[in-house]
Amino acid sequence: MSLRAYAVALALVSGAAQAQAPETLSWLRKINDATQKLSYSGTFVYQNSSRSETSRITRYVDARGDIEKLEVMDGVPREIVREKDTVRCYLPGARLVKVDRRTERGFPALLPERISALARNYDITLGESRRIAGYDCRAVVLTPKDNLRYGYRLYADTASGMLLRAVTVDANGEQVEQFMFTQLAIGGVTRDMVRTRHASRNWRVEDAEAAPGRLPGWGLSSELPGFHKVVELKRRLSDSRPAAQVVYSDGLAAVSVFIESMEGRPEPVRTGLASMGAIHIYTREVANHVITVVGEAPAASVQRIANAVEYRRPQ
Amino acid sequence: MNDRISALMDGEVDGKSAAQTIEALARDAEAVRTWRTYHLIGDAMRGGMLLSERFTERVAQRLAAEPTVLAPRRMRTESPRLFTLSALAASVAAVAFVGWMAFAPQPQLAPAPMAQVQNAADKPVLVPLPSAANDYLLAHQGFSPRVSLQGMAPYVLTIAEHPAEARK
Repeated sequence: MSLRAYAVALALVSGAAQAQAPETLSWLRKINDATQKLSYSGTFVYQNSSRSETSRITRYVDARGDIEKLEVMDGVPREIVREKDTVRCYLPGARLVKVDRRTERGFPALLPERISALARNYDITLGESRRIAGYDCRAVVLTPKDNLRYGYRLYADTASGMLLRAVTVDANGEQVEQFMFTQLAIGGVTRDMVRTRHASRNWRVEDAEAAPGRLPGWGLSSELPGFHKVVELKRRLSDSRPAAQVVYSDGLAAVSVFIESMEGRPEPVRTGLASMGAIHIYTREVANHVITVVGEAPAASVQRIANAVEYRRPQ
Repeated sequence: MNDRISALMDGEVDGKSAAQTIEALARDAEAVRTWRTYHLIGDAMRGGMLLSERFTERVAQRLAAEPTVLAPRRMRTESPRLFTLSALAASVAAVAFVGWMAFAPQPQLAPAPMAQVQNAADKPVLVPLPSAANDYLLAHQGFSPRVSLQGMAPYVLTIAEHPAEARK
């Protein structure tokens, strides 16, 4: 065993030994497996301080892979369908389909070794038992070790591991947002149930054309503790604007940095902080570029990553 | 009526129609029940503590049973001198308290200094969501590890009905 591998193994063991009983980590694995393997259909409510919205979610799994469909029930009908690595977002009001494709890798699965690594940034404990939408659930509580990230209470069905309720809390223990199933049926899903109900043949298509790549000269003067670079992409945003995207993650929360040139931008940039539930968006200008940082992390963390973005002319 | 009650709870009505709805609530027992039920639903969804059954009625009964106190109010007779002294004592206590706070060891917080209390210069300007918020969110969500625990659910934010989207 090389010295480095030994150090990593030691870090993992000591991290896991601090507070995380094997039982707690196996609960997280169970939730992760259920999310990857189960077919289900259900109705859930999303709620933050300013709004609450009901949606339907349907997931179909067979030997060829999985298809997942999300429909928002309130307001104008909107739909997202994910099939393998492609996400299609149907917006009937604008007769528009937005397509986001992963060319490099699949959706991030929280692999077992990454679940143990979560213990570096969160204390993971088992919480209360509670009945939700007819299922007997157990809470897994992730308490952050600093205030750079949010805490989570995840309520999973004791039998299947299916996640019935997820609550995000801030440093004061106040609820930031939550997802909660009000009705859920596991199994009994057919392929027809996950097809889009929109006849979108004549709609405009916006393809993100995301591919691995990086913008030379751009980087962070310092990383946020616990957050590491996951991926660097070149892509298109709406109206074909080219952009670079760099994603940082602590294993559970993620923050994306978008870098776009100011040239030919139709509207002026509004710099500052915007928020929606647990997501914060911070916009600033650096070296004639717009920097937009988006992530499910406290405002101070998102702002700190944004303020660390710098441009150094490549030598 | 139910829509008006719901709008009132969400703060989505102007002063005039709010006044009308509140007046209607005062007259209509059925409407009051709806109002209570909506709040109960809201509390349950927020995970708030639920009050015991018939809480409102019991408080009203206890209030009605309280004796009304008809005693004349006592005249203020404290000397101004005493008042000055106690004010002085209070400010000494305040200084002592602030001093103690300053020298007390800081509780173990984040290792990073910036994560602690932000000073005024760091306070960000609050702006509305960027018009391309949906694009940023759609691009971002695919890389969030939350998706492997929650499936597609976090994408509801991505297809939120932003005014910008409706304008297109």
